[in-house]
Amino acid sequence: MTPSRRQFLSAALVGLPLKAERRVSGGFVNESQIVGHTLRDGIAFSPSTQRVKIPVVIVGGGMAGLSAAWRLDKKGFHDFVLLEMEPQAGGNSRSGENEISAYPWAAHYVPVPNAEAVFVRELMEEFGVLSDGKWDERALCFSPQERLFLHGRWQENLEPEIAATPKDREQFRRFDLLMKEFRASRQFTIPMEVGAKDAALDSLSVKDWMVQQRFDSAYLNWYVDYSCRDDYGALAKDTSAWAGVHYFASRQHDEKGPLTWPEGNGWILKKLLAKLGRYVRTEALVRQIRVDGKKYRVLAGDFEYIADKVIFAAPTFLARYVLENPPVVPFEYSPWLTANLTIDRMPREAGAELAWDNVIYDSPSLGYVNATHMGLRSRMDRSVWTYYWALASGPPVENRKLLLARNWNDWKEAILNDLARAHPDIRECVSRVDIMRIGHAMARPKVGAIFSEARRRLAKPAGNLVFANSDLSGFSIFEEAQYRGVTAADYVLRRI
Amino acid sequence: MSAVLFLSVFLIAACGLIYELIAGTLASYLLGDSVLQFSTVIGAYLFAMGIGSFLSRFVGRGLVARFIQIELMVGLVGGFSSSFLFAAFAYTQSFRLVLYLLVVLVGTLVGLEIPLLMRILKDRFQFRDLVSHVLTFDYLGALGASLLFPLLLVPKLGLVRSAILFGMINAGVALWTTFLFRDQIGRVIGLRASGITVLALLGCGMVGADYISAAADNNLYADEVIFSRQTRYQRIVLTKWKDDVRLFLSSHLQFSSRDEYRYHEALVHPGLAPIAGAKHVLVLGGGDGLAVREILKYPNVEAITLVDLDPEMTKLFRTNPMLTALNRDSLNSNKLRVINEDAFPWLDTNREVFDFVVVDFPDPTNYSLGKLYTTAFYRLLAKHVSTRGAIVVQSTSPLFARQSYWCIVSTLRQTGLKTYPYHVYVPSFGEWGFVLAAAREYELPSQLPEGMKFLTLETLPELFRFPNDMRPMDVEPNRLNDQILVRLYEREWRDIAH
Repeated sequence: MTPSRRQFLSAALVGLPLKAERRVSGGFVNESQIVGHTLRDGIAFSPSTQRVKIPVVIVGGGMAGLSAAWRLDKKGFHDFVLLEMEPQAGGNSRSGENEISAYPWAAHYVPVPNAEAVFVRELMEEFGVLSDGKWDERALCFSPQERLFLHGRWQENLEPEIAATPKDREQFRRFDLLMKEFRASRQFTIPMEVGAKDAALDSLSVKDWMVQQRFDSAYLNWYVDYSCRDDYGALAKDTSAWAGVHYFASRQHDEKGPLTWPEGNGWILKKLLAKLGRYVRTEALVRQIRVDGKKYRVLAGDFEYIADKVIFAAPTFLARYVLENPPVVPFEYSPWLTANLTIDRMPREAGAELAWDNVIYDSPSLGYVNATHMGLRSRMDRSVWTYYWALASGPPVENRKLLLARNWNDWKEAILNDLARAHPDIRECVSRVDIMRIGHAMARPKVGAIFSEARRRLAKPAGNLVFANSDLSGFSIFEEAQYRGVTAADYVLRRI
Repeated sequence: MSAVLFLSVFLIAACGLIYELIAGTLASYLLGDSVLQFSTVIGAYLFAMGIGSFLSRFVGRGLVARFIQIELMVGLVGGFSSSFLFAAFAYTQSFRLVLYLLVVLVGTLVGLEIPLLMRILKDRFQFRDLVSHVLTFDYLGALGASLLFPLLLVPKLGLVRSAILFGMINAGVALWTTFLFRDQIGRVIGLRASGITVLALLGCGMVGADYISAAADNNLYADEVIFSRQTRYQRIVLTKWKDDVRLFLSSHLQFSSRDEYRYHEALVHPGLAPIAGAKHVLVLGGGDGLAVREILKYPNVEAITLVDLDPEMTKLFRTNPMLTALNRDSLNSNKLRVINEDAFPWLDTNREVFDFVVVDFPDPTNYSLGKLYTTAFYRLLAKHVSTRGAIVVQSTSPLFARQSYWCIVSTLRQTGLKTYPYHVYVPSFGEWGFVLAAAREYELPSQLPEGMKFLTLETLPELFRFPNDMRPMDVEPNRLNDQILVRLYEREWRDIAH
């Protein structure tokens, strides 16, 4: 290796220790696939030894399952257990903490809910985030919310502005106007089931819709593609136009948000677990659900639960490994990678100040979220950055293989190389990189999936086993997970 | 001939002293604590000169050639000394090691010069005259250099270029010597070639000096920098011109000792004087101790809590004699408790209640500082004020940044407290604004402490009157999730600057 100019310079100065290349520690964390793949690979389990009769079993301890539990408990129904395969419940809302800050592992915000999102508002009122119609100002994302690295420097906001042409601006304006019209149609709601009507948009991709609308600005196309990757883990060409429009048209912004916390949605999770922890059984992988007369036999570890009702809140694709007659699941799932970087010296950068969400233009990643942004400190000298990367280009199956095939060092290098575009000295500022690989992070609303017969059937509860994962909505966001969990719980309560 | 020789002595002596001064200045500039840095640099340098003198006895034949080589080495090493030191500070962790190695190296070479020169000249002069003349010009050179350095070189050329200039003088003396003593040297051509090479290298350095000195911010300040330190949080710079001491934090002027009394009297007394029997006072920011100095004029105040993020700031204003004279040693008062923490989280975890709170933060130049000017911050602050108490906030200029000023007023009003805006003229700042906030109706004080230089009871009501160009504006409050103040402030001050 030829020494760099700087190494040469300091070597000339009597071989002094360099302020240079430092060792970065870290590894893979929360490896769900290890437990999950025992289901897929049909590993033989030892038989259950204890039998428990219980009216309701909830399968899956992510936001959907916990929301079902929250609803049951709130309605005064306590005879149920929630089974979670991981050592910690929470799914995509899990978080971590180090000596600098708490930080999210995946879901990190909830947009300020509209009036239709009654359950989200109810939950936020319960947690004191909403009181007398006012949002807690410490939970609303602080300024500056977003910035974009473009042409060598950071600008405020995500809509590209540096070197934008009049055509770019005109198309952004026209795009905004169209979204306003869609919003006014009241079909793009959260929860989506309340308003969803028209299937025409669902039959073409976002990309095709953009062409149809004569949107050819590179900036606008990047922006829309970024939004699809950010919310659905999919490229614009692989996303249903209905879902694409939903992203922009579903939110009425009367208050500048979103709601967020240092640990992201881990904050909501902690509050829910404090209340509902007694129902939760962790490391309880459900390996089989058998129909036995009018009952269900749910096998998990040493236990066999004999239940009247089952709420299946785990990702719906898992049903095919545990149910005798699994339903057709019309979704693909997007593989994701998230990483938490311990930043012990703030990296050099040019332009707009560090924001909450920091995006690099034309990067395959989604950028990073600064975990200490929601802290009260006025001066920051250390932080934790949560880096998001939806492996969107190419078939999900191939990307899942890639996700597992590459070792930690490869991913770490890829992440640091990406960040080095905006922060040349990033390698001198990072002491640790922990990486979480999620093979099936979220349902992907591909063309035709949302208005498919298969999705409608899944989403309509019937019988004694109901599905409740957010993927029933066609895309995975907190509000949909909560809505599916709560409505599944209501359905069960009506029939018990 | 002899005049020319003694001019050489004069020049090399000046060069030698310049390198020493540069090392000392750079060390105190970059490391702080100038007494320590200068003492150790001078000590090491003189000691190294002793080593040089000692080593001179081992130089035998070819005295003149040796002398020329040493001159060239001094020129090269000394000339690039400040560039080396800036680079060492920027790129290695061992600035001190490089500093002392360089000081010893240059000192040793310089220590060789005079003994060798005296031996070269010993056959041309009586010993008595030789010693007398050489030392006379040596000391004269030192005087010239020590006067030139602070008055002309540092202000006009900066440290990097000054060093290079004197390196060129050393090299020039070397070249010149090849002509003076050409009959005593064997390889004249080789020596001249090296001399020209060294000169050319230094010349390149001179041209490229801007790149090196960009690291130093000497040019930023109009007056002489007497203290400069990069702490974890900010760059503290003190400048002095005649009796005017100025403090800059990250390049923003904080006070000028000539008129700070106007600012600090106005900051403290309109709010504190009417609160009869105020006992507990909180100061947020204000690590210079000047607000505390004013608060200590009230014997009824029993305890003052000062929360300032930067421990180096409070340490500086507690120990530096020039600064303790300015704040009347207020930071060493036994009524004072200093807490070096970030104010917002500190308030958030603390439950104490105060009779008077002075908020003296830097202006909201970025979103991080802007957090300290939000409804969330003021609501939290309001919980720490007793019912009869008051808050005063330094609020930038209502003249230069009118919207920003009234935005702060509007933000404070969101707490439910009543607000009383006022302003004062501080020459070094211009027209400056403050906002008082209290639950009760504000009453002008009936009495002020002794020794006011600016405020009087008669003129106090004037401060609360706003002429037409500063009159109130309707501005949205500044919120954590929508910091309009930072954007207003940036726009308004940019308009002033251009």
